[in-house]
Amino acid sequence: MSPPAGTAPAGQEPPDDIEYADPGLARERTELAWTRTAIAFAALGAALLKYRPVAGLLVLVLSAVVWRLGRLPGTAGAGDVHDRRLLLITVCTVGISLVALALSFLGPGITSLR
Amino acid sequence: MTDQPGAKDPATTSTDGDGTEPDARYTFANERTFLAWSRTSLALIVGGLAIAQLLPPFPGIPWGRHVIGTPLILLGCAVSVISYLEWKASQRALRHGGPLPRSRLPQILAIAITVIGLIAAGLALLSAVGVP
Repeated sequence: MSPPAGTAPAGQEPPDDIEYADPGLARERTELAWTRTAIAFAALGAALLKYRPVAGLLVLVLSAVVWRLGRLPGTAGAGDVHDRRLLLITVCTVGISLVALALSFLGPGITSLR
Repeated sequence: MTDQPGAKDPATTSTDGDGTEPDARYTFANERTFLAWSRTSLALIVGGLAIAQLLPPFPGIPWGRHVIGTPLILLGCAVSVISYLEWKASQRALRHGGPLPRSRLPQILAIAITVIGLIAAGLALLSAVGVP
């Protein structure tokens, strides 16, 4: 008699079972979320690069930092209330929004840089 | 803290001055929620900047682009800050086993986007009719 699918007897899971090492694949999904966020920053940086090279380069560097942060072992999902990584993302997003505000009101815009 | 899966694992359980380390899955989920809101706020900022910089001016309403773009950028900024504060509040609630606070962000986002959309529609109509 084989047990019903999905109900392996207790104590018989292989030690390399992915559900055991990473329940619900939570770590994997969170790493992917960090990657998506890094891609969002990279897209913004690449778009800026065409018109504001310095700002674009800075945002591209930031996207590399975000990508790296999501990959560091043991840091993703750190339960600390004073998580510096998330604060970094918030501070950088606020900074980008201020730069965006300044750019949107500065002169005739992109045409002046052509 | 008895019914949380993973809490029995001594490696994931640590008590300090700020509550108990919750199940890692809850922490991960909270972090993903924050990251998703961060991407939303980035998209709002990019959208606002693109409208202010790339859109051709409305005929007769040269300031029209800024009326749409600036609120979008400010909304993105607000979403970023609020999502961080809500992540922090949720993490604190998780560590102390309290009820999760309700998120205000969906309401804020829906109302703000509705208002900005109405303004954009009004501007489009105004420029089509022709403002003196």
